[in-house]
Amino acid sequence: MKNSSILKISIGMFCCLMFWPLTVIAQTPPSAMANLIDRCQPKMAKVIGAGTGSIDGYATGFVVSPDGLVLTTQGVFLDGPQVKIELADGKSYPATILRRNRTLQLALLRISPTEELDHFVLSESDVGRKGDWVIALSNAFKVASKSEPVSAMIGVISLRSSMEAKLNQRDVAYKGPLVLIDAITSNPGASGGAVVTFDGDLVGMIGKLINSSETNTRINYAVPAAVLKEFVEGTLETQQSAVNSATKKQSRGELGIVLFKMGDRSDPAYIDRVRRGSPAAKQKLKPDDMIVSLAGKKVGSVKEYQLAEKELIAGENVTIIVKRGLEIIRLQITPQPKQ
Amino acid sequence: MLQYISSLFSDRLRLMCVSATGFVWLATSLCSLAQEKPPVAGKINTLEVMQSTSAMFRSAAAKMELSLVTIESWGGVRAREGKIGGIRKQGEGNTTGIAISTDGYIITSTFNFITRPPIIMVVTRDNKRHTAKLQGRDDLRKICLLKITDLDPNESLVVPEIAPLDKIKVGHWAVSMGVGYGDRSPAISLGIISAKNRIGGRAIQTDANISPANYGGPLIDIDGRVMGICVPMNPQSQAIGAGVEWYDSGIGFAIPLDGAEKLLERLKDSNIKIEPAFLGVMADANPSGEGMWIEQVVPESTAAKAGLEIGDVLVAIGGKPVSDQMSFKQVLIAFEAGQKTTLEYLVQGEGDIVEKNITFVPPPVSKDTIDQLEPPEIR
Repeated sequence: MKNSSILKISIGMFCCLMFWPLTVIAQTPPSAMANLIDRCQPKMAKVIGAGTGSIDGYATGFVVSPDGLVLTTQGVFLDGPQVKIELADGKSYPATILRRNRTLQLALLRISPTEELDHFVLSESDVGRKGDWVIALSNAFKVASKSEPVSAMIGVISLRSSMEAKLNQRDVAYKGPLVLIDAITSNPGASGGAVVTFDGDLVGMIGKLINSSETNTRINYAVPAAVLKEFVEGTLETQQSAVNSATKKQSRGELGIVLFKMGDRSDPAYIDRVRRGSPAAKQKLKPDDMIVSLAGKKVGSVKEYQLAEKELIAGENVTIIVKRGLEIIRLQITPQPKQ
Repeated sequence: MLQYISSLFSDRLRLMCVSATGFVWLATSLCSLAQEKPPVAGKINTLEVMQSTSAMFRSAAAKMELSLVTIESWGGVRAREGKIGGIRKQGEGNTTGIAISTDGYIITSTFNFITRPPIIMVVTRDNKRHTAKLQGRDDLRKICLLKITDLDPNESLVVPEIAPLDKIKVGHWAVSMGVGYGDRSPAISLGIISAKNRIGGRAIQTDANISPANYGGPLIDIDGRVMGICVPMNPQSQAIGAGVEWYDSGIGFAIPLDGAEKLLERLKDSNIKIEPAFLGVMADANPSGEGMWIEQVVPESTAAKAGLEIGDVLVAIGGKPVSDQMSFKQVLIAFEAGQKTTLEYLVQGEGDIVEKNITFVPPPVSKDTIDQLEPPEIR
């Protein structure tokens, strides 16, 4: 009796020792990553709308509340007679559009599920640092349909940035924070996808296709979770207008410079005229001087000068760099109140 | 419509490239990780292991950042209707450079200087804006040097450490860096070394994202040492913009700095322009045997000077046999203008092999070189 139990224990131990390495191998690399992705998949949504011509009728989305709020990208595809959402279990729901934001290219949809949904939590603070690994989940090219899981890609956070970018050649008003990533997410249908850390926390939403106005290449980025949270809670617009009115209250400054215009805002910023008694006149700036930099910002064009001048505050000293002939001149200049 | 289809195709191609390279990369990197740090049995968590690498990338990038500069230039491109070979705005946005000497020499990519802009400014890490001048350029490797002209005598730039070329191995981590997105802080992209000795042995290949946002910037290793300078390249073409069409595709190139000391010394001279070797023939694989059958010879070219004529069969360049377009391009790409070598050919495809000594001439200068550039597709 005693002997047999010892035998059983020793057989058990033998089995443990024998199969233990196998269990370890089974748990190594693929499963940890696979588990992470598996945990995210039920939160993902395939958004199907109306496509016309070259406009894709689909995008990705993800669930942000147990009762059926779904975030996706704003687009013409939402303007069709019906928008449909397919969740990871293959169930299809008609969706209503709650809110759209054209400057951020975001849309909030609602579906009516019969049970509570697995969802992403939107963080108020920044999730993920430059160099952190991320997984991007999206239905790029509409590869998946019904209960098929969306595609997963790996990358790192390239940069947390605030940039001027453009959409379809028109400038996007939004100049807020973006999270650049190095996974290639700039493909049709990917926007609205989720970017998550290895802890499964949501970094942000894969943004609408845009070209960087600096490099004229497509950029891969996510709209940060904190911005999404504001959008979902409906506090975003009010916040933006509050910021605008705050800057208006400060006394804006000007330099009294009239630029040479050849009809294109992308022309270099050559001075055409300097107003009498203005800060520019006091610093002896002259016609034909080319403005190279203002208040630490590069000025490459008339437009960039106009943008830099908007930021000036009356009475606050800034540096202006001009090119006169072959000489580079650096001057301190004090803007006067804008008239 | 056609454009739409082609754009769709290239999208798919990009996705395929990316997912394929991504998979290979992940597999290799996990293997290499396993080799570097033997896992403790039963306790390994891939995600934790990988997350710990992020700290390494960050510290490597932070070390490199000290030597990174932002290059701003004015009026180089827009003066010519803002378009060069289909590339808009190049040389207009911020571009990336690296200090290579304490006294103000900066290395960057010629892609950022397709034309000579009247004003070049270099912003160093301490946020100081300096004026700079364009020095020599190497159109083969697509690199050029700038010299800061107004560096204070007591000011010195931080020169980065350079990774020894023989220690760079396929599968090693690679981080590309660049300030081209307009921020002061560089964007980073992660990948591995995909291959060495590409493009006539001049470049290393990586699957880290390489684009106009980091041309001229460094490709660094996990220790923050420079492995190479990111440049646009395409083995099929030596046009200045060629290779941009592969931006962020998983196929990217960098010019190693180890062993380039002599070259960099040469490029300090603003009169130096290193150009591709121009043989000056149109040739096709010989239908009746070995070699390349000459279909056309450009007057005054290297081939014309060697006495090559239509109907001759070119057998070897510099002792290396050529038999088809691929080998012909591969052999030729290793040479630069001014270099001496030999041509072996059969006169009208018959008789004994004739061997001639040649000196490669540069490609003919066209009236407007800018219009001669191949338009890479950038959307």
